[in-house]
Amino acid sequence: MPLWVLRAVAVFVLLGLGLAQGEVDPREEAKRQKQLLLETAGILPTELIVEQGKEFFNRKGPLGKTMAECDFGLGKGVLEGAAARLPRYFLDTGKVEDLDSRILTCMTRVQGFRPDQIKRQEVVAIAFYIASFSMGKPIQVRLLFPQERELYALGEKLFYARSGARDVGCATCHISYVGRRAGVLPYADVLGKDKSWTHWPAYRYSNDQIWTMQDRIRACYGNIAHPQPDLYSLPILALELFMAYQNNGAVVEEWPAFVR
Amino acid sequence: MCGEEAVMKAKKLIPILFLAAPLVVALAQSYFNPSELEAVKTGGKAYAEVFLNQRPDQALCSAHRNRLPADFLPKFLEEQRALIKYPQSGKLMGDWKKGGAIFNNLQKANCFSCHFGSPVHLGGDVGPSLEKYGLNRGQSEAVQRYTYEVIYNAWAYFPCTVMYRFGAQGLLTPEEIADVVAYLLDPESDFNTKPAVGSR
Ligand code: HEC
Ligand code: HEC
Repeated sequence: MPLWVLRAVAVFVLLGLGLAQGEVDPREEAKRQKQLLLETAGILPTELIVEQGKEFFNRKGPLGKTMAECDFGLGKGVLEGAAARLPRYFLDTGKVEDLDSRILTCMTRVQGFRPDQIKRQEVVAIAFYIASFSMGKPIQVRLLFPQERELYALGEKLFYARSGARDVGCATCHISYVGRRAGVLPYADVLGKDKSWTHWPAYRYSNDQIWTMQDRIRACYGNIAHPQPDLYSLPILALELFMAYQNNGAVVEEWPAFVR
Repeated sequence: MCGEEAVMKAKKLIPILFLAAPLVVALAQSYFNPSELEAVKTGGKAYAEVFLNQRPDQALCSAHRNRLPADFLPKFLEEQRALIKYPQSGKLMGDWKKGGAIFNNLQKANCFSCHFGSPVHLGGDVGPSLEKYGLNRGQSEAVQRYTYEVIYNAWAYFPCTVMYRFGAQGLLTPEEIADVVAYLLDPESDFNTKPAVGSR
């Protein structure tokens, strides 16, 4: 089934329910929506995107290589459990990379694409595909290299920073007011019991979009009218490394996830 | 002669002091170190500027993770208090209808996202419920002043709280804040006469 047909079904199904959402727990609601979609469409958007990602992964680039020639941290072509160990420092680039940026590195350095040829939607689909090999794996992120430790420290500072015209910061919502609601959405305990690191990449049925953690972080800044960090930039990586490390040991239940 | 000499000296000193003071403050109070700020710059110009221009009070709340040690409080509260400005007219209660439009606008003040009590939108529970605020508190000068000041600069009462500093950060003008105060306090206001969305 083409993606747009599935999405049309999804939007149709969801519109019918959207109105009565007032008091419902968004996580329970996500489970219900997923079940409903499975029953009506027979397949989930996440599965379709993983399939797309697989095609991109196995496509040959300008240098005649597929992405199987790349090392995502556990050796060339090894995907099993790789995403659960990112972000990490890579000797070949001399940089800390997360899933998104490592995909970019693979496509440019190994496959030979020019950066301007790379579409964000493709990177996300490939992230969905690679992440799907880490279901059931525990998050294992290390702070071994000085670059990792520096970035972690920056991520921690950014998480607690108050900035901008609204004096906001991640911690004001995700530490001080965990479980409280602004409107219908409760603030997740991203460093603690919600293990939010294991919820992304995900398909968000509320707006029919596919997001990695990079998009999630940018959206949180956007919601509070704070300028957003560029994709693949160090502040995003720093926040990711900090959050991932805090969630070490958490087992990935579903990657890519299906969320509100 | 002695007196005059001292004045001359002081005059020479003043520009030096002016130059030196902000430097000292910046060194003592910056939250990010220079290499961290370099990394933040890779996030883009608009993003980086927010951190390059982080205010000293924001830096303090960041460094102490929103819980200031007791010995910082008197000075902090005094500084926050000093930021508060009042409407030209001197009236702290304006037009409640205009205030309602501000209170209930997601893009404008978005008060309802954090506070329960609006007859227009279901309120959040990040802040305390303000249901029937004016009926519960009355309209005394003290209540008007408190309400105005909390909205103008919440940090003057609740250091490092999540509530935006609407006046101090220029999100609302003093007149707009007075309108919001009227919306909360005026016994005629919809806020006090109509049931809050979600009230039982
Ligand atoms: C004003 C409140 C607020 C601030 C500030 C904020 N967030 Fe969020 N965040 C939310 C809300 C609300 C959601 C849930 C949105 C949803 O369900 O779609 C969320 C969701 C998230 C999630 C996903 C949670 C999960 O379990 O899937 C992560 C991760 C996250 N935020 C990280 C951050 C980071 C990092 C920052 C700082 C850069 C930040 N947030 C700043 C309100 C905020
Ligand atoms: C991001 C969340 C947030 C927003 C937006 C917000 N507030 Fe608040 N407000 C709070 C919190 C939290 C407190 C309690 C302070 C504390 O304990 O830290 C508070 C306290 C108050 C109080 C004092 C309550 C009392 O019982 O004494 C008033 C009045 C108030 N807010 C009015 C407003 C108005 C009016 C607006 C919009 C113009 C607004 N708030 C926007 C979070 C918010």
